[in-house]
Amino acid sequence: MWRMKIQETIDLYERADTVNELLARYGVKFGIYKNNTFHEQLFPFDAIPRVIGKEEFDYLEKGLKQRVAALNLFLKDIYNEKKILKDKVIPEEFIYASSGYLAQCEGIVPSKGVYSHISGIDLVYGKDGNWYILEDNLRVPSGASYPMIARKLCRRSSPKTFQNISIADNRNYADLLKKTLDYVNTGGLTVVLTPGRYNAAYFEHSYLAERMRVPLVSSNDLIVDGDRLYFKTYNGKKEQVGAVYRRISDEYMDPMNFNPESVIGVPHIFDIYRKGNVALVNAPGNGVADDKGIYYFVPRMIKYYLGEEPVLKNAPTYLPYYEEDMQYVLENFDRLVLKDVAEAGGYGVVFGSSMTKQQKADFIELLKKEPRRFIAQEVIDFCDLPILEKGEQVERKADLRAFVLSSEEPVVWKSGLTRFSRNPDSFIVNSSQGGGFKDTWVLNQ
Amino acid sequence: MGVKSVENMDRLYWLGRYSERVYTTLKLYGLRFDSMIEEGENYEEFCESLDIPDIYGTAEKFRDLYPFGKKDPNSIYSNLMRAYDNAIELREEIGTETLAYIQLSVYELNKAAQSDAPLIEFQNIIDYILAFWGIVDDQIEDEETRNIIKVGKRVERIDLYGRLHKDKISMAREVHRLNGRIGRSGLHYNKGVTGKLLLLIEEDTMNFPEIVRQIESILEV
Repeated sequence: MWRMKIQETIDLYERADTVNELLARYGVKFGIYKNNTFHEQLFPFDAIPRVIGKEEFDYLEKGLKQRVAALNLFLKDIYNEKKILKDKVIPEEFIYASSGYLAQCEGIVPSKGVYSHISGIDLVYGKDGNWYILEDNLRVPSGASYPMIARKLCRRSSPKTFQNISIADNRNYADLLKKTLDYVNTGGLTVVLTPGRYNAAYFEHSYLAERMRVPLVSSNDLIVDGDRLYFKTYNGKKEQVGAVYRRISDEYMDPMNFNPESVIGVPHIFDIYRKGNVALVNAPGNGVADDKGIYYFVPRMIKYYLGEEPVLKNAPTYLPYYEEDMQYVLENFDRLVLKDVAEAGGYGVVFGSSMTKQQKADFIELLKKEPRRFIAQEVIDFCDLPILEKGEQVERKADLRAFVLSSEEPVVWKSGLTRFSRNPDSFIVNSSQGGGFKDTWVLNQ
Repeated sequence: MGVKSVENMDRLYWLGRYSERVYTTLKLYGLRFDSMIEEGENYEEFCESLDIPDIYGTAEKFRDLYPFGKKDPNSIYSNLMRAYDNAIELREEIGTETLAYIQLSVYELNKAAQSDAPLIEFQNIIDYILAFWGIVDDQIEDEETRNIIKVGKRVERIDLYGRLHKDKISMAREVHRLNGRIGRSGLHYNKGVTGKLLLLIEEDTMNFPEIVRQIESILEV
């Protein structure tokens, strides 16, 4: 892992407050519900970047492309031939018991055969010098907009830094995303569909729409008429829509096919998607592949579909579903982290070591009752990154969300969202739990 | 951007109206605040002229609540938040740079609420709103988008001028500006109203209640 010499980046660090002021000026926020009330919060930015050398990025790129290729093949297989189940590489119940599996997607092949157009892969860098994959996010991964705008503002605040260091430009994310959407567009407008401004990632929805120069729409703006999807304009006209970058989760996307109580979905949008008349990005049903339980099987998928050894490692993971793993988990409970497969955003994560005797007993009872619901992982001793706190450098836990965009050719964005914990004793880096973010620099040499 | 939803047309129009309302009422309040420094000037007249209910009771309460009252729907704070609520949902339409001036105004008003000399921060808000209008002209490429915001601004100004019994020259200027703009906004409006307004500003004595009544019915719903 690279560490920049302080002299090379000192100018940027000295201007950290300026960058944060600019982020506030441009409303770079995320939403959060506290006591049932919506609040907009600034996402704290730390000016010390995560730096990835060219060679290291080449290695990550290779591993990420490989992983996403296998996950795309898995999704196609699961909703069609199911060879991986027939060959007993993955037990059937892991698919059908997954909340991300959607029976409605059976037999559907989306436009151009792409399922996970935008994949957000979370990694950490271990003290042993290895990168480890923590989780795959293949539904609506968010976060790319933050380093994208932060880079723009850092360049404005400290041009000298970017003159002195040759860093891959990450401001092309919106172009890459637009290209990805255009590739699968079935004819007509490309739009970003948002659940609205009270969504945690609303800034990102609106900023990406702005940068791609496409309409940001809500469900009220769209209508299915006949076999097509249309955008309703003020003048009463209807413009056909060919690709929807939907930032609404599967269950709320279409009340006629999924949750009937959804008021943020578009009735019958799934019916025309099934007919191939619109591209939904990412494809519905992807949750089956980013389920924390399925994560365990991704290295097997890579071997099965690609005939290759995985380039990037999973964090050592145990499935209490398997008797042998259950035994291991019970014996090593205090040094493992346990994750509820149905939860996300840092929720449903507990450390064995932090539980009281009673909590531990209750948890083990639950684990035995619902073994499919949990995975256990070794706590990766991952490298801390320096952050600036009141002008001093301190070390904090940090992860990296890398973004892979899949169109004609998969592209790994030469940057990523580095999230860090502001609490010195915490491994949880999620913004919803008070974390901050850094830019991720990929060096050109 | 080429295509616009009903919601976005509405938001653009109201962004124009609320930003103007904040601008004009801030200026008026600044004048009133000055005269209230030594003596508790008659604030009721101010409420009456703007057609807002006197919920304040005392000049002191008026001085605090009219600009900063979060629960008062007529306060400057509430109007600025309405401008912000519209702007925040228009980022892709008006651009991050444009939106920033509304965001900065919100920060400044919150700062003013903690200040012993809020007029200083109010001046900053006035400057930001002027900058907002400047950037609307300079950076929003879509002519229709620009025109809708400006129609909202003109409608609000005519409305306020009517309530405040502004002079004939100022009123005539605003009506002509609106008349030259509204046809290019793409908004569905009542053409009879613009015709009537043009006649009203020709009259020797301004019929302010009628001007207010007309301008309030300009958009077809």
